[in-house]
Amino acid sequence: MKLAFVVQRYGLEINGGAELHCRWVAEHMKKHAEVEVLTTKAVDYITWKNHFARDEEVVNGITVRRFPVTRARNPERFGRIQDRLLRHDHKEADELRWLNEEGPRAPGLIQFLKDNENAYDYFIFFSYRYYHSYWGIKTVPRQSILVPTAERDPVVGLGIFRDLFRTPRAIIYNSIEERKMINDVSGNGPVPGDVVGVGTEIPGCYSGETFRRQHNISGPYVLYLGRIDENKGCHRLFDYFIRFKRESGSEVKLVLAGSTVMQIPSHPDILYLGFLGDGEKFDALDGAELLIMPSFYESLSMVTLESWALGKPVLANALCDVLKGQCQRSNGGLYYETYPEFRESLGVLLSSPRLRRALGEDGRRYFEANYTWDVIEKKYLALLGRLEKDKSS
Amino acid sequence: MGQERIEIDYDHVDVRRIMDQIKEKVAAEAGGKPLASGGEAAPVSEPDFTGGQGRMRQVLLKLTSPFRPLIKLLILPVDEEHRRTVLILDHTNRRLDRLIAEVERDRRLTREYTKLLHHLCHNLVVEMSKLKIEVETLKTKTRVMEKDFEFLGKREKALEKEAFK
Repeated sequence: MKLAFVVQRYGLEINGGAELHCRWVAEHMKKHAEVEVLTTKAVDYITWKNHFARDEEVVNGITVRRFPVTRARNPERFGRIQDRLLRHDHKEADELRWLNEEGPRAPGLIQFLKDNENAYDYFIFFSYRYYHSYWGIKTVPRQSILVPTAERDPVVGLGIFRDLFRTPRAIIYNSIEERKMINDVSGNGPVPGDVVGVGTEIPGCYSGETFRRQHNISGPYVLYLGRIDENKGCHRLFDYFIRFKRESGSEVKLVLAGSTVMQIPSHPDILYLGFLGDGEKFDALDGAELLIMPSFYESLSMVTLESWALGKPVLANALCDVLKGQCQRSNGGLYYETYPEFRESLGVLLSSPRLRRALGEDGRRYFEANYTWDVIEKKYLALLGRLEKDKSS
Repeated sequence: MGQERIEIDYDHVDVRRIMDQIKEKVAAEAGGKPLASGGEAAPVSEPDFTGGQGRMRQVLLKLTSPFRPLIKLLILPVDEEHRRTVLILDHTNRRLDRLIAEVERDRRLTREYTKLLHHLCHNLVVEMSKLKIEVETLKTKTRVMEKDFEFLGKREKALEKEAFK
């Protein structure tokens, strides 16, 4: 069986989101099928400017074909178009103009799909909202599988996507909440699909002590991992944490790791460590009392799964239905909507090591039952097997 | 912080149960003091049971004054529970207000969607009418072309006749 993974960006430089999700799945599916990746030459997701010079290369044993982006995105113009689209009556042509503007516009990639339709058994598209998925699925609908990685953001309701969600041969969802949302907006119930998600690689050894020594951190700390951004709910996290410190007198620290696009408040107990590599990330998790996930929009949250894989509980934003649902299903974390709930939940978690252990253990069991690579690979293979069976009958 | 009032069964930890207790505790606290964050209604004042100036009331108060400590002692647990219930109800009421506002917003959205749908239907009707006119025009053109074709056939035959005479 020959599979092509089609994604907006691909490479070892890209360490998060749907692109990393795609790379990990592609690298694991390599064991079971012939795998290639079709992508663009872009690295920067704001402008999609061409970055890679070569048309073809091998990344971790997988052939990657890169197609040039013919027009870089102008973020200001895109912002204006999106704003108008979401606030005013519009036609399908406006939505298609928005999609063109969003990019990454790589007509060469779509032409390649058209010319090589028969060279692959299935095309697995990642991220529903970009040019490559929309036009790609329209080009090879009967061989396409979509991994939408959809969050609860307003563009999911656009008419063009309602049509898109009904088109592919199958859909692989990240969570039950994502499936429900997509079913609700598009009425695509009959399209076959499964909730799969993504696994994660846990290093053989990690040490919270080493991390504490390296960064000179003493006392308990809670950890936030990911982009430090208002869109990720970080402004509210800072506000809540500072209030919590003031009211409780707790000695806990908030450790932040990841790239930042916002001002971090100057506070003696808020420590920003910059971007951490994979190994160090697990050291940081191991040393933490718990992981905080303040994001409002998540389609899965890989870092939450990593936290559970290490037996660490999570304190999540309940306004994100995926995070709340995951905490309830796993029994691996508490959640909050308002500051008083944040204060009480964090207070109860910090004061009870036994509760942290119990939640962490439940989280670990949930991770092992649903998100180890064996489970993920089996789910992908089962879906592909089902499609093959349908094809032959 | 408030963990002394949150009961946890460590053998069967249940996140939902813990969260229910946290929410209940927060609701009880929020009922007792004004909320710091904006956007929520001010707390409803507690009912005043001491009002009234009637003479009968004065007499009754005087008559029952020796038993006042006993009465207080008897009604204390009920009063506590009553106050707590009032506070919880007050908090629930304010949350309901917020939810009603959200429902109102959703209603406005639905109205907008209905408008869009109406526009869509209207546009469909216009497009269908245009297509119908187009079909009629094409039919007429076809009929004209059929006649032309017939005429050309006749002409061809006549010319053939002339040519092979």
